[in-house]
Amino acid sequence: MFFFTYLRRELRRRIRQAIFIALGLALGIGLVVTVTAASAGVKKAQSDVLKSLYGVGTDITVTGAAPKPISPGSTPPKGAQTFQVGPGGAQVCTNGKCHNAAGQKIDHLDSGSYGPISQSEVAAVSRLKGVKAAAGGLALSDTSITIPKKFGQPGAPLPTPNSFNVQGVDTSQLSLGPLSAGTVTSGRSLTSADAHANVAVVDSGYARSSKLKAGSTVKIVGHSFKVVGIVAQPQGGSPPQVYIPLARAQALGKAGGKSLKNDVNTIYVKAGSAASIPAVQTEIKNLLPGDTVTTASSLASQVTGSLSSTAKLANDLGRWLSVLVLIAAFAVASLLTMAAVSRRVREFGTLKALGWRSRRIIAQVMGESLAIGIAGGVAGVALGFAGAAIITAAAPPLSATIATGTGQRVVSAGGGAARSFSPTAAHTVAVPMSATVTAAAIAAAVVLALVGGLLAGSFGSWRIARLRPADALSRVA
Amino acid sequence: MYQLTDVTKLYAKGGGTIPAVRDLTLVIEDGEWLAVQGRTGHGKSTLLNLLGGLDRPTSGTIELDGKDLSRLREGQVTRLRAESIGFIFQTFNLVPTLSAAENVEAALIPLRAGAAERRRRVDAALDWVGLGDRSRHLPGEMSGGQQQRAAIARALVKEPKVLLADEPTGNLDEDTRDEIIGLLERLWRERGLTLILVTHDTAIARRAQRVGVMSKGLLSVHPAAWAVSHDGAMTGDEKC
Repeated sequence: MFFFTYLRRELRRRIRQAIFIALGLALGIGLVVTVTAASAGVKKAQSDVLKSLYGVGTDITVTGAAPKPISPGSTPPKGAQTFQVGPGGAQVCTNGKCHNAAGQKIDHLDSGSYGPISQSEVAAVSRLKGVKAAAGGLALSDTSITIPKKFGQPGAPLPTPNSFNVQGVDTSQLSLGPLSAGTVTSGRSLTSADAHANVAVVDSGYARSSKLKAGSTVKIVGHSFKVVGIVAQPQGGSPPQVYIPLARAQALGKAGGKSLKNDVNTIYVKAGSAASIPAVQTEIKNLLPGDTVTTASSLASQVTGSLSSTAKLANDLGRWLSVLVLIAAFAVASLLTMAAVSRRVREFGTLKALGWRSRRIIAQVMGESLAIGIAGGVAGVALGFAGAAIITAAAPPLSATIATGTGQRVVSAGGGAARSFSPTAAHTVAVPMSATVTAAAIAAAVVLALVGGLLAGSFGSWRIARLRPADALSRVA
Repeated sequence: MYQLTDVTKLYAKGGGTIPAVRDLTLVIEDGEWLAVQGRTGHGKSTLLNLLGGLDRPTSGTIELDGKDLSRLREGQVTRLRAESIGFIFQTFNLVPTLSAAENVEAALIPLRAGAAERRRRVDAALDWVGLGDRSRHLPGEMSGGQQQRAAIARALVKEPKVLLADEPTGNLDEDTRDEIIGLLERLWRERGLTLILVTHDTAIARRAQRVGVMSKGLLSVHPAAWAVSHDGAMTGDEKC
């Protein structure tokens, strides 16, 4: 009790200095907590974006190799539809037969930038060691383009595609894939009984913008699908807009003009454990060498927009700034503690004369420093919570952009060199920024507070350990 | 009993050395009251520091009850001070943030006495010096005389064998000076402890049994009746 009485009285005596040191530590620790909370929030946002793309429980995704683009002048694959602009105006050609495309609407359900993977490979992947489950899917894009009547003429505008994402879902494996992350808000989800039916589940955001509800009809490449349910995906994601049974997607979709019957373009894989993910990734790469095998962490790098730049800012600049502030706070705390010890040299000399050992006096000084450190830590955590709350309340939404190819290629062969472009559909979503103070951040704050206190106390302690009582007592008060 | 043999203490200064104490040989019996006089800077406080183990001699030996203080480890000297040696300083040296009772209690902390035991001894010590009603007062709330009483209580609470007092009345007025010296004398008589008291005051020195005069690091010891004002102090060339 004497220890705490002495400690309390001494801190009260130099209350202003103690508050100053504690505030300095609080600022540094608060910054660390806030930056950590912001990083955690950004990571969660990234995870939500990815989760909505690939679903909960998906550890690895396999996507088919992108098909080779059709170069101008080359023979398109059989069944592929192309259109070109020449002296005769805009034309749509299929298997060598062309007709005037002016004013025509072209509607494709295409695989886009993912090439086909045989459905038998899905079974092969599921049999690999370390794989708990595998499901095939088709990530398609329904793109419709209305060719303007004057398309191809000088000064005429290029057509703008309208598109929405269609996801072919294996209705026998609903726990894998993008639909698994959603929550049904109206109607029902797909079931195994829907395997060959023209039914669809629509994303809640798309349903709102397109005025769809359970019971509505949605057209996919001219075919009517009955909407049986509305599903809400994790906030901030970029989910598919329409989900239909895989078999129907295979029947309607094309990849470079070729049918997707018995094909998928994505395989969703769940590993047996987090530790086995790298090994499973390697096995799949060996089995499907031409295809892209990615884990959740590597997918994060594909997301662009202010979400990814904020993540960088939080991780790089934010961390360095908080480390610098902490170092400054520790330095100030140490210097002020040493100064306080110097002012008490006579007092400590007297205690030594009374028979106090150096370590007892050091324990007293360390206790004072630790108390200040703990006060700084508590204030720092409070500041961190406040900072996180301000970020959550005031930060503008971040944007996450994922660009996907539509599979279309437009070639203009008018006067001059041939020009071509591949319309892409970029999906940009607003991701709310929320900063969450985690238990790890609080633990880090506690550790930093203790380290700060101990560091400051150790400088003073060094002074005490070297103190000669006779010299200390000869000091003028 | 103190036995000092050829004790010298040198301090380094400006490239050379200054002898604070030179070739000092002295025996102080148990229960003796020795006053030490001398001009400022002639080694009085240094002698007290050496006797209290607060400093070590450059050469020579200082034995207290057969233990050579100059050869003991720092921890052993500290323990000895905690148990056997009490200090009283001119400027009282009370911890300003602790009350009178807590300052007295500070002397018992190294002895690891229990809280109840400490409380009992502190109360007894404060009562003995007449500060029983001021136990909760901080040093800043007490007069100089009261602070010095508290310091005396702090010194006696551990029931020391030796009491080293460095100008205990130097900062006090005449009336208070008499009070404090009376207290110390009573303490010496009642407890039979060895009292070594540094003073400029001749009247105080004459109350001791012997008086030692420090002059440029040399000590000469005489009967107390021979004490003179430090302006006319013996040169100290003679050794006792």
